[in-house]
Amino acid sequence: MTKISKASNTEIVQSTRRDFFRKTAAYSVSAIAATSILSADDENITHHSKWGTTLGDELNKNPYGLPSPYEHNNVRRTTPLLSSAGDMHAAISLTPLHEQEGIITPNGLFFTRTHNGVAQIDPNKFRFMIHGMIEKPIVLTLEDIKKYPSESVIHFLECPSNGAAEWKGPQFNSLQFVKGMMSCTEWTGVRLKTILDDLGVDPKAIWCLVEGQDGSEMSRTVPTEKIMDDAMLVYAMNGEALRAEQGYPLRLLLPGWEANLCVKWLKRLEFGDKPWYCKEETSKYTTLTASGKAIQHFYPLEVNSIITSPCPEKPWTSLKKGDMIEIQGLAWSGHGKIKLVDISFDGGKNWVEANLKGLVLPKSWTRFSYIYKYEGKPLLLASRAMDEIKNVQPTVNQEKKIIGVEGVYHRNSICTWEVKENGEVHNVQMRS
Amino acid sequence: MFKCDHKFIATSVAALVLGSTPVFASSAKKNALDGGMTYSRDRGMYSVYNINEQDTKGMNHGRTPTANELKAWDTDIMPDGTGLPEGKGSVEEGDEIYEEQCGVCHGDFGAGGVGYPTLSGGSMDSLTNQRTAPGMDAPKRTIGTYWPQASTLIWYIRDAMPYAHPKSLSNDEIYALTAYLLAANEIKVDGKEMDDDFVLSKDNFSKIKMPNEDGFYPNINGKDGVENVRKFFKDGKNYGAVGKRCMKNCKDDNATVMRIGIEMKDVNPAYSTVRDLVPVDNSNAHPGKAGYEANCAVCHATDKMGAPALGSKSDWDKVMEKGTTKVMMNAINGVGSMPPKGGNSDLTEWQMQMIVDYMISNSK
Repeated sequence: MTKISKASNTEIVQSTRRDFFRKTAAYSVSAIAATSILSADDENITHHSKWGTTLGDELNKNPYGLPSPYEHNNVRRTTPLLSSAGDMHAAISLTPLHEQEGIITPNGLFFTRTHNGVAQIDPNKFRFMIHGMIEKPIVLTLEDIKKYPSESVIHFLECPSNGAAEWKGPQFNSLQFVKGMMSCTEWTGVRLKTILDDLGVDPKAIWCLVEGQDGSEMSRTVPTEKIMDDAMLVYAMNGEALRAEQGYPLRLLLPGWEANLCVKWLKRLEFGDKPWYCKEETSKYTTLTASGKAIQHFYPLEVNSIITSPCPEKPWTSLKKGDMIEIQGLAWSGHGKIKLVDISFDGGKNWVEANLKGLVLPKSWTRFSYIYKYEGKPLLLASRAMDEIKNVQPTVNQEKKIIGVEGVYHRNSICTWEVKENGEVHNVQMRS
Repeated sequence: MFKCDHKFIATSVAALVLGSTPVFASSAKKNALDGGMTYSRDRGMYSVYNINEQDTKGMNHGRTPTANELKAWDTDIMPDGTGLPEGKGSVEEGDEIYEEQCGVCHGDFGAGGVGYPTLSGGSMDSLTNQRTAPGMDAPKRTIGTYWPQASTLIWYIRDAMPYAHPKSLSNDEIYALTAYLLAANEIKVDGKEMDDDFVLSKDNFSKIKMPNEDGFYPNINGKDGVENVRKFFKDGKNYGAVGKRCMKNCKDDNATVMRIGIEMKDVNPAYSTVRDLVPVDNSNAHPGKAGYEANCAVCHATDKMGAPALGSKSDWDKVMEKGTTKVMMNAINGVGSMPPKGGNSDLTEWQMQMIVDYMISNSK
């Protein structure tokens, strides 16, 4: 929520609001008239605007810039269903994907999952340790870590529970709640290998404990192979320090892998030759299959996609028959780059290939686009991505056959929107 | 002269690189542990990113931790017993601590029902339950039916519990609580069920047998643990990567449209895509204020009803003699003429905590 707390601001805002409604009313009238042959003049054009006839705000009124006050609905949202007893210390907030433009999530909209609240760490007192089966254990301050060469990479981060509420059928009529447990950012930090090269990791140390310093001491076991491949210690996102919700001042980044493994408020890494059996890799974050046995250490987020426009929050109710419109969405895979995305208009019977647009990066969101002539008829709109290792999103039925409906984690089957005759968009599933 | 030639060659190569980045992009191979791609770092490139490949050998900006520092942080507890602290505790002692500190969130005997994780109950047979139709029972993932290792339990209790003030329990208390929760789950130690007098310590911890120890795959134990994971990810059928790229007349097991039954609408803030201005700002209000006004003020606004009045230091000093936990429990369960949750059963535990906090902090 945008804060407008000072009394003087409130006054300005209120007067502008009255003005806004008056103008909106005028605009609506003119919009209706525009459909007739004699179109009325738009007052927004024929009259001077308030903002064009008054002095604007002082330029540095907000030393840290804020979104336009009109954008106050573009926010993360929560639900008590994805929490314990409505307690928002161990819960999740979801990114408003329906308002997401491009592939970079603004820092204030990055989805957030915590297990014991958002820790507020004093960077001056922050310490990070690497020890265990290595020759030279090490303690680093934040300043020390920033002395190593930095790299910046764009990667998505996704909670493996993304879409977990929908295993048994559609529940939320909202893009934000169907797929909003993910975001994508330019991360800056140091490759762990750069630090570890000097520390002499024992070749027998095939596992590494990664542990946070928040109240839950969030911890996981990671194969050393990943730590030495593309793992990073990150201290910045989108050009500024990590937000507290994202683990300020330091978090682990394991590109393409469960966000839960990318431990926030990082405390230590311990190398060893046995896995640790942490709470979040046993009681939770294990995928129970219909056999009664569960998949553990299920690291990568598999190939996935979702149409973001239209969507339940951004329907096609303002379109007229014959309008040309862009269908677009996001595709991503923890296994590599996105190769291609197909779109179906009939619930998956027939598909056409969409176009990828913008940057196509490894383990990053990738935009897809398809220009469509709206016919005002009902549609079952779906997207299906293929990634660099040629994995293709399964249908709901295919995924159900292997995992069942109680797996909770790693759901990546095809999502379908039902576009109604009036242009409304509803979350549905194609399944038997 | 030689130097000059060298420079010239370097510049030409640089020009080539700049002019034809895709040709020089680093190679990608499908050989990551998880079945995905790895990207090499060569010729100044990492995938599509330019990188600095200068040698960083010998770079070290840290210092060696002291023995005491290592001891302070190296406190994880592993399945083989590594890291188990000194100390001991009985099932009976655990029962008392549990009732005092844990039951408010995890329910009686860990049976849940208060919204926080359920810790006991259910059967391993339930793990094959699949709720494919309404009204069916869920699989019960509790300590007894699901958790593979007891070390996880004592480690998590020590580091992360009680939820609101983690790391406040003594070693004896964490053994007692672990013993109590294992007993509540009818876990066997050395082949025998645990009675109230059972005392858990470092010495008998390894004799605990968790029923679902073998309920997980791939097998991550032993020196082949990581290789087993690699094998698992080599075959997409193991983890659901079975999608096919069909383009025309694709079959899907007679799939039909399933629409939302009962829509989940309880979201915060409420859905809206309107672009307007917010006239009033309530963001500085205490999170318990609105709940107090709607549910509690009728009795607590004054002392006329016999309830401790908001703002009355003497009333609340008396109440607080019982301790915060008891006050909280009373607010949730009811006390005297006050009904549970002040009569509004829809209030969550969290809302109740906020309301109580609001009332206490405004009565000092």
